[in-house]
Amino acid sequence: MTPPPRTAAAVPDVAGPPLSRAEAEQLLAEAIGQSSAEDTEALLEARRESLTRFANNEIHQNVSSLDHTLTLRVRVGRRSGTVETNRLDSSGLRQAADRALAIARLSPEDPELPDPAPRAEYRTLEAFDPATAASTPEERAAAVGPVMAEAAARGLNAAGALSTLAGVTAFANSRGAFAFQPETYAHFTCTVRSDSSSGWVDRHRRDAASLGAAALGRVAIEKAERGKQPGAIEPGAFTVVLEPNAVAELVQFLAGLGLGAQADQEGRSFMAGRMNQPVTGARATIVDDPYDPRAFGRPFDSEGTPRRRVALIESGIARAVVHDRRTARKAGVESTGHASPPPGAEGPLPYSLVLSAGDQTLEQLIASTERGILITRFWYNRVVDAKKTLITGMTRDGTFMIENGRLTRGLRNLRFNESVLGMLEHAEGWGRDGEPTVFDYIGSCVVAPALQVRDFRFTGVSPF
Amino acid sequence: MNDILDRALNTAQLEGASYAEARTVESRSQQLEVKNRQVSTLAEGESFGLGVRVIVDGAWGFAASAEVSAADAEACARQACRIARASAKFRRGPVVLALLKPALARYTTPFRIDPFEVPLADKIALLVEATGIMNREQAVRVAQGAMMFWEEKKHFASSEGARIEQRIVHSGAGLTAWAVGADDLQVRSYPNSFGGQYEANGYELVERLDLPGHAAETAATAAALLEAPVGPAGVTTIILDGSQVSLQLHESCGHPSELDRALGHEANYAGTSFLTTDQLGKLQYGSKVVNIVSDATSPRGLGTFGFDDEGVPAQKVDLVREGRFVGYLTSRETATMLGQSSNGTMRAESWGHIPLIRMTNVNLEPGTWKLDDLIADTDDGLLMITNRSWSIDDRRYNFQFGTEVGYEIKKGKRGRLLKNCTYTGITPEFWNQCDAVCDASDWEIWGTPNCGKGQPSQTMRTAQGAAAARFRNIQVGVGTHS
Repeated sequence: MTPPPRTAAAVPDVAGPPLSRAEAEQLLAEAIGQSSAEDTEALLEARRESLTRFANNEIHQNVSSLDHTLTLRVRVGRRSGTVETNRLDSSGLRQAADRALAIARLSPEDPELPDPAPRAEYRTLEAFDPATAASTPEERAAAVGPVMAEAAARGLNAAGALSTLAGVTAFANSRGAFAFQPETYAHFTCTVRSDSSSGWVDRHRRDAASLGAAALGRVAIEKAERGKQPGAIEPGAFTVVLEPNAVAELVQFLAGLGLGAQADQEGRSFMAGRMNQPVTGARATIVDDPYDPRAFGRPFDSEGTPRRRVALIESGIARAVVHDRRTARKAGVESTGHASPPPGAEGPLPYSLVLSAGDQTLEQLIASTERGILITRFWYNRVVDAKKTLITGMTRDGTFMIENGRLTRGLRNLRFNESVLGMLEHAEGWGRDGEPTVFDYIGSCVVAPALQVRDFRFTGVSPF
Repeated sequence: MNDILDRALNTAQLEGASYAEARTVESRSQQLEVKNRQVSTLAEGESFGLGVRVIVDGAWGFAASAEVSAADAEACARQACRIARASAKFRRGPVVLALLKPALARYTTPFRIDPFEVPLADKIALLVEATGIMNREQAVRVAQGAMMFWEEKKHFASSEGARIEQRIVHSGAGLTAWAVGADDLQVRSYPNSFGGQYEANGYELVERLDLPGHAAETAATAAALLEAPVGPAGVTTIILDGSQVSLQLHESCGHPSELDRALGHEANYAGTSFLTTDQLGKLQYGSKVVNIVSDATSPRGLGTFGFDDEGVPAQKVDLVREGRFVGYLTSRETATMLGQSSNGTMRAESWGHIPLIRMTNVNLEPGTWKLDDLIADTDDGLLMITNRSWSIDDRRYNFQFGTEVGYEIKKGKRGRLLKNCTYTGITPEFWNQCDAVCDASDWEIWGTPNCGKGQPSQTMRTAQGAAAARFRNIQVGVGTHS
C-alpha cells in the first residue's frame, strides 16, 4: 500500500489534499483486508495544518503539522471493538485490526448494536481550495504583517492567528461503502487592545484569499479605539444587539442540550416530550444543513451514513432531532447521518446549524435601538440549567452602549445569565447576513445572523 | 530514537538554527464507558510522531509529522527553520532563552498496577456492577461509569545537549447519575465531575475509589436533588468542598499566574491576566491563610513529571505566600523577561503541538481546620460540593460557579439539601474573604483532564491540590433566581 505523502511536513505548501481519493481507497481497503472480523468499518482523517500566531505586534508562534488518524471498528455478532491509530504502514494496520478484534471478543454483547451502513451514494461538496492548501509561512506572515503594523502605528497592540488546513475524511466498510471528502479551511482571528479597551474580529472561510486579513484587522482596531475608557453600567435587563458570532456562541449550546436523539431518548433534552410544540419564538427556524456552502458540512458521518438536511426547530416549533444508527434503530427511524466522531460517546449531534435570518443590516439593528448594548462576542459560556437552556458567560472585546440608535461609549464587560431559547423568543430584529462560526476547527459550525434581543439579562460586571 | 532526534537537531543547526529541540511522543489511551449496565464506549487509541522546534534569526518555528524516520526528521527540521525565518521578519526583538543546564535523565511516574495490563473484563464488570446499583434508583435515567487511562513515552533532545526519556501514566475513573424530573435535570458525580478523579497513578486509583461502594449514595443524591429546594440568593458565608476549591484555584489562580497570559501571548484566545507584572510581590491576592504553590513533584498529580517539554526539571515554587502574589508559572522564554530562570511548566498536548506554559499541580496548602469544626464554627451559610458550572472572564476577575450539591448551614449544623447553587465574585476580593482552610486530612490532589489553551487549541491534564475552605460575604444564587 501507499502511505500518505511522506514529505508533506517538509513541503506543506502543496496544492493537493493530504492524500488522494485513490490513496485513501487503497489504504482503507488494506485496513479492512487486515481484519478477520465479520464486519469492519474504517474511518480516515488526514490533516495538514499551519498556523501563524502573533501577539504584541510580532509573530511569536508559528507551526505546521501533518497527521492522519485511522479508526477501525470491528463487529463480531453483537460485540464491537474500536481502535484508533496513526501508524498506517502494513504492520500498524495489522496490529490495529488484531487489537480491535480482541477488544470486540472481550466486550459483552450489545443488544442495541446497529448494523453497519449499507453501500450508498454520497454527494461531494465543493469544499477544497488548492490555493489555501498551498498556503506558505511567508504568505501567512505577509498577510498578518499589515495588521500588526497598523495597530502599532496607532499605539495599539494586536494579537491573533491566521491558520490554514487541508484535510481529507474518508470512510469504507466491509459491505462496500466508500466515501471521500477533501476540504480546506482558513481562519483569521484578531484582538486589538489599547490600555483600556479591546476589539475583535473573527472569520472562517474555505479559502484563505477571501479572508482579507488587513481589512478585518481594521474592524478590530476601530473597536479598540471606540471602546477606550469604558464606563460601568449597572447589571439588569437590556435590549442587546448581538453580532453573529455572539448569537452563534449561544445557539451552539442547543446542539448538546437537546438537538441530538441520545439526549432526547435519555430524557435530558430540552426537546424531550415537547415534539411538535412551541419551544421558542415563532421567528426562529434552525436546520442542520451540511449542504449550505457556508456551514462547513460533510456529506457523510463517521458510520458512513449520508448526512441529511434536518429541520430541527421550525417557526419556533420542535420538529426533529438528529440520529445516528444506534438512536435511529431504537426510535424505529432511519439515521440522519449525524454520528459523532469515534468513540461517539456523546451520541448524534448536529454539526452544521443554520439559524434563520431576517432582512436588516447590523447598522439597521443598531439604529433601531433606542437604548441598549452592542455585543461583539461572548466568552467562557457554560450551562447553568440544561433543561432551561440557561447559560452564563461574559462579554468580551467590544461591548458598547447604544443610545438613540448610535454607539456612544465603550462599556466594561458584563456577566449574563440567559436562556438560549429565551434569547430567540425575545429577538425582535433579525440580521440578514448569516455568518459562520466554526467551533473546534471543522468539528461543528453555526451560521447565524445578528440579532436585536429585548430583556437580555446581565447579572454582574467586570472591573475592565 | 536518538538517531532520529540527532538527525533533526543536526539538520536544524545546518539550516541556521541557534537553538533546536526535537521530541517524539508515543502515546496510547484506553476509554471505557458503561451506561445503565451496557458498554457504551470501549476504545483504544495510539499516536506516534515527531515535533521539531527551532529558533532561527531570533524567531520560533515548529513543524511536526506523524511519519517518523531520519528523512522525516530532516524534513521537519528544514520546515521548522523555514517557518522561523518567515516569522523573523515580524519580530520586534529576538527570542532569548533562560540558561539551563542540559539534563541527561530518565523518569517514570510512580504507579503500582499498570492500568493497561488489567483485563478489560475486570474493568467492565466493575462498571456494570456500579451502574447496576445506581439503576436501582428509579429517577436516575442515566447511570454512567467511566474509566480513562493514558500513557506517554517521550524522548526529548536539544541542541544544548539535553537527552531525556520519560514515561507518564495517568488513570481516571468515576460515576455520574442523571436524574430526570418533570421539568428538571439533576446530576450527581462521584468522586468529582468531569468524569471522576484523575491521577498520575496506576489502576490502584480505581481500586481505591471503590465505585460500587459509592454508587447507591451517588444515585440517591441525584434523585433527592429533584425534590430539593433551589439554593438561596443573597450574600452569605460559603464553605466549598476540596474539589470545588480545586477548580476555583485552577480558574482564578492557576490561569492568571501563567506568565505568557500576563505578557499578552494569549490575548486573542485564552485571554490575559489581572496579575500584571507590576503586581508581582505587591498584590494582596488573598488573605493570610492563602498559600498557593505550583508543585510538579506532588505525588499523584496530573501535573507531575520529571522534566517539562523544554527539558527543565520539575520544581515547587510559590505563587501566593500568606496572601501575597509572589510568583508566576514560567517558561525559558518568558522567565528572561523577569530576569529569572524557568520554573518548568512548558507542556505540549502531543508530538504535534508546541509546548505552552501549563499548570502543573497548583496547590492550596492545607490549613488547620477539620471540616466538621469549620461547619460547627459557621452560624449561617452554605456548604457547596462538586462543580457543575464554571465561567470566568478573560482576565480572570469575574467568575460564576455552580455546584451539583448544596447544604444549608444553620447554627453550625449541616441542614437541608439544596439544588442549583451558584456563587459569584471578583477573584482577589474572593480570596481575601477566605478565613479558613481545612487541614491535610481533607486535602486531595484533584485532577482536571480538560484544560484548554493555545492556537491550535491544546488540551492538557493538570491538577490542583485543595482542602475545603470558607469564604465570607459571598454573593450566591445569581442566575438561578429570575
